[in-house]
Amino acid sequence: MDLMSNLALGFSTAMSLQNLGLAFIGCLVGTLIGILPGVGPIATITMLLPITFGIDPVGALIMLAGIYYGAQYGGSTSAILVNIPGEAGSVVTALDGHAMAKKGRAGAALGISAIGSFIAGCIATVVIAALAVPLTDLALRFGPTDYFALMVMGLVFAVVLAHGSVLKAVAMILLGILLSTIGSDLETGQARMTFGSLHLADGIDFAVLAMGIFGFAEVLRNLEGGEQRDVIRGTMGPLLPTREEMRRSIAPILRGTGLGSVLGMLPGNGAVLAPFASYTLEKKLAKRPQDFGKGAIEAVAGPESANNAGAQTSFIPLLTLGIPPNAVMAIMVGAMMIQGIVPGPQVMTESPALFWGMIASMWIGNLMLLVINLPLVGMWVRLLKVPYRLLFPAILIFSCIGIYSIDNNPMDVVFTGGFAIAGYLLIKMGFEPAPLLLGFVLGHLIEENLRRAMLLSRGELSTFAENPLSLILLMISVGLLLLSALPTLRAKREEVFVED
Amino acid sequence: MTDQSQPIEGLGRPRLSQDRVAGLTLIAVSAFALWASSDLETGTLRFIGPGLMPRLLASLVGVTGLILLVLSFLRLGEAMPRIALRGPVCVLAGILAFALTVQTVGFAIAAPLLAMLAGLADRDMRWIELLGFAAFMTVGCILVFKVGLNLPIPILTIPGIIQY
Repeated sequence: MDLMSNLALGFSTAMSLQNLGLAFIGCLVGTLIGILPGVGPIATITMLLPITFGIDPVGALIMLAGIYYGAQYGGSTSAILVNIPGEAGSVVTALDGHAMAKKGRAGAALGISAIGSFIAGCIATVVIAALAVPLTDLALRFGPTDYFALMVMGLVFAVVLAHGSVLKAVAMILLGILLSTIGSDLETGQARMTFGSLHLADGIDFAVLAMGIFGFAEVLRNLEGGEQRDVIRGTMGPLLPTREEMRRSIAPILRGTGLGSVLGMLPGNGAVLAPFASYTLEKKLAKRPQDFGKGAIEAVAGPESANNAGAQTSFIPLLTLGIPPNAVMAIMVGAMMIQGIVPGPQVMTESPALFWGMIASMWIGNLMLLVINLPLVGMWVRLLKVPYRLLFPAILIFSCIGIYSIDNNPMDVVFTGGFAIAGYLLIKMGFEPAPLLLGFVLGHLIEENLRRAMLLSRGELSTFAENPLSLILLMISVGLLLLSALPTLRAKREEVFVED
Repeated sequence: MTDQSQPIEGLGRPRLSQDRVAGLTLIAVSAFALWASSDLETGTLRFIGPGLMPRLLASLVGVTGLILLVLSFLRLGEAMPRIALRGPVCVLAGILAFALTVQTVGFAIAAPLLAMLAGLADRDMRWIELLGFAAFMTVGCILVFKVGLNLPIPILTIPGIIQY
């Protein structure tokens, strides 16, 4: 099958009335929750996971993709209107987006970010469709040794791209993998570190861990901050950017899309870098770089497109290799597992309708965001004015229903509470929770592939060096780790994340 | 990153190194995991047993903790930020109350209970407003999740009288 017939299959799946409806609802509720200040995409998706339970796998994944894009777009909206970025990706948007909003151009900032995201989404969809087949073919040839090396490289990327201390990021990844070993052993079935608890015998549930250390711990952290919300008052201005603004934005949008598409595919959280990279690039190329930070439309258009393109191409490693490149994709793994789908190269060959339907629905989701969001901006602004003292009990209720419904087990809710406290303390000690989650998701695969590789090589560790692919991947990992320890590069890395 | 709203460091409370606390915590976690996995066989490299990965990882966590601990004596890092009590205690109480009541009494009681207990975490909370909002949220969630999505959440159970 070639690209066109694949996409045709995808669109015929995604265009069914039911799936269109699900994509629409997904985008709508995703935006609705994602827009709440301090609620990032991870918490949003976890919270909304239960509403996809009763749906068939294709529909559920289409809806989840919609929720994801909605959450992304909602994050940008609250970054522009309230200056509270819901996630790292929209930090850059907040800089000039909020400055534009203060100048009465909030409408144009929202408009250009929707238009930019849509263009980026269209291009990224084609990129995914084009790369899916060759990458899947490659992945099907991977042996356990290569897989192990690939995952090590992914985790090393995650360390190098994490904020703050490299050492602490390493510790979090190790801790994540350690947590994943709790439960029955893969081969012997022996209970590991369960303390005789039947609840732990199946291992820690992914959504429980994610909701605890991301969702709830965020609530606890926000509660300390006190209310400092700077919702823009007065006029939003027209939603459509002027012709002059469009003309200035088109090149940044295309450059941002290119950057985002490439960085998003990187294992580790490449997508997070994309908006930063785009901002830096646009500032360098700008005729009036002094306007950046004061409401330059290029500084909204570029990073927003990069953010969306990266968000979308980060599906590539998940769908083709079965390896989630970042925490959000890790949640997608959890969601797919609940639907009985194990992500990996076999998905495309075994259920092509699901695979291509999901890719087609990405484009549809982007179109819907454009259609839903622009007219609804007024409603979003009103939502942003709900005070946090009411917002957080609502978040807690939603999340508790979600966690409870995964298994209809109140113990899960208790565990989530425990992880919330742990997550809060970890943040206080300067640890980032994202690498922990990534390590946790990859933990099973790493152990399984290591054990298989060792069995095949009769216990010879040299198998990793004799296998050319795994040797290259491991050498890249070691090189990156060494580079990231170099003082000059470390300074550069800090700079990227503290670009204010 | 310094927080302006907090009292000046070193006044009233001794300065605690963030890295030192982090290192000690990792060492404690590592020791606990080593103890918890001590009954599992390591196996050989060819036939890796269930105990190898947990113990290997726990040891590595311990090593990173040790490095952090040593570094905390060599360089002056960030100080441990203040840890709030009110927020975590109230939110945790709410979550536990929800977990205890959702199956026995039902969601119609568990949700407002969660909202009210957790609501105490915010100093600005107003009883009447929160109560009204909790009732609104509860009814909304019942309509969405039970009526709309048909999820099997027990709403209200009073033995012998009502079971929904």
